[in-house]
Amino acid sequence: MKLLTHNMLTSHVQGVIKGYPLIIKATEVKVNELEFSAPFVSRMIPKLEWSLISALNCTLIPDYEKDEEFLRKVHRILLEVEVVEGCLQCPESGREFPISKGVPNMLLIEDE
Amino acid sequence: SCTVYATTLIKYDLSCELYQKKRQTSEPYLVDLGEKELDQTVTIGATVPTGFEHTAAEEVQEKLEATARVSKNRGRIYFDITTDKLFKVHQLKSLDNLFVVVKDYDDYQFKTTKEEVQLDWQELATKLPWTNALEVWKLNNSIKKKKGRRKRTNPTKSDQCGNFSTKSTDTVPSDPEELLVDLEALEVKENQRDVSSQPEDDSEEEKHSEIQDQESGVTPLKFRVTCNRAGDKHCFTSNDAARDFGGAVQEFFQWKADMTKFDVEVLLNIHNNEVVVGIALTVESLHRRNITHFGPTTLRSTLAYGMLRLCKPQVSDVIVDPMCGTGAIPLEGVMEWQNSFFLAGDNNGTAVSRSVNNIKHIVKRTHDEGSPSGLPLDIVQWDLCNLPMRSSSVDIIITDMPFGKRMGSKKKNWELYPLCLREMARVCKPGTGKAVLLTQDKKCFLKALLQMEGLWRKSHTVWVNVGGLHAGVFVLKRTAVVFGTTSEDVMEPHTATGSQKENMKDASQ
Repeated sequence: MKLLTHNMLTSHVQGVIKGYPLIIKATEVKVNELEFSAPFVSRMIPKLEWSLISALNCTLIPDYEKDEEFLRKVHRILLEVEVVEGCLQCPESGREFPISKGVPNMLLIEDE
Repeated sequence: SCTVYATTLIKYDLSCELYQKKRQTSEPYLVDLGEKELDQTVTIGATVPTGFEHTAAEEVQEKLEATARVSKNRGRIYFDITTDKLFKVHQLKSLDNLFVVVKDYDDYQFKTTKEEVQLDWQELATKLPWTNALEVWKLNNSIKKKKGRRKRTNPTKSDQCGNFSTKSTDTVPSDPEELLVDLEALEVKENQRDVSSQPEDDSEEEKHSEIQDQESGVTPLKFRVTCNRAGDKHCFTSNDAARDFGGAVQEFFQWKADMTKFDVEVLLNIHNNEVVVGIALTVESLHRRNITHFGPTTLRSTLAYGMLRLCKPQVSDVIVDPMCGTGAIPLEGVMEWQNSFFLAGDNNGTAVSRSVNNIKHIVKRTHDEGSPSGLPLDIVQWDLCNLPMRSSSVDIIITDMPFGKRMGSKKKNWELYPLCLREMARVCKPGTGKAVLLTQDKKCFLKALLQMEGLWRKSHTVWVNVGGLHAGVFVLKRTAVVFGTTSEDVMEPHTATGSQKENMKDASQ
């Protein structure tokens, strides 16, 4: 699971009001090189919930479109860091969703 | 002076082009331009998923800079290229099967008795301009050899709606108009000095035939004729035509007939008064290219590609397939549109692991070729009716919805479709979002869509043929209406996975 995906995932446990953001508990992380595209990153930035990214010591700078170094840093965070094993925890209910082989399982059981 | 200038310019351009070409092939640069080697122009025919002729023509225009004609005979396009571009044609993603046109007739006048028609075929075989087409066929074989063999864990399924069958004559085809010829082998004479490679269906077979070739020195070509016939004014069947034309071809070339291990597949396509004679350039259909792990309803890659083209993915678009199955659509997407991000999901664990395996296979392939191994794609196991995604976070939703015949059931669709559409509307960006949805259960889908009038608007529909079933690809636009404010989403479905309150909160986020 890439951090870009994590930026969009929420908990949908019934009754939960604030299921976002999910807390990442990783036991295995890997870095996978991916082709960099400046237009992709700069257009993606406004679509993101930036607080999740700034939590990783990455402050949003003004005029980021022209700063390649900054864009490459964001590219690495969003697309190259992958959580392979671990889980995602609902911030409100505590329910844990396992991540296995890079795939989070967000299925709820009947009562949830 | 103007003319001189123009000529000099042309010479300059040509010399640059020639120089570039020479440089690429690392041959010594020759100063004497002489006559520039002109590549032969040929007409290529391709079969495409019915309904996607125009998206295929778009791809041809984009990547080959050639204008494609859409045939009156559905599921086919034709375009002219110079032979140096043949390699590129194989890389196109909208095309199922390729052939080189020997000759085409717009208005072929068929005689009224079988005997006369047979004589006409015999005459035709001797008059056709075979040479150029056979040159292309030869060139094509060397291209296929260079591509190498890709391992396939499953053989390609016979394509119901495609036009070329690889069944043997023993099987009785379901479509009586698509029959193969069974000719008696005649005395074989050497006709071709070149020995062709065997078709790419089995690596063992290829080794065997290569050994045979080495032993015998030169072997004559083996061929078969495939005939497709449509129209109600013909006095003959496709079987008759294939047999008679095949006989004439055999007599003319002294080739050997072979139904399964043929070198040359001659195509005879008859659509009313349109007759096209071609030579096949593909043996295995290109349409399962990315999928090595099949599922029960794996979508053809060419169809997935056509659907993706309909979406017109933009840079940084978030594209979601919420029912991805074995991942045909997102895989095809991520190979072509690398500036978008693909998120695929399914509730079925087996489907998810198959998707993961298909991705691994692609990653391994691209990694071997020296490029970074990551893809802008993620897979999640989820429930489509309760997507664990923030509202308004998705630009495009594209999926193959359960048909209710091979997967799911019609009854389930009545409940599933409205819930799907509702949840898709929630995650999709109001105003700019789009959905491209394939389904065979058109009645159910359209009814569900009517209930969603406030959230989705029909843009257009492409009618397609999927595995013999008549299906529709519905292109929808997400209206500007914010989710949680219309009656559709305020209503309480009996399998509600979230309370109304939750929906309202989502809308206000």
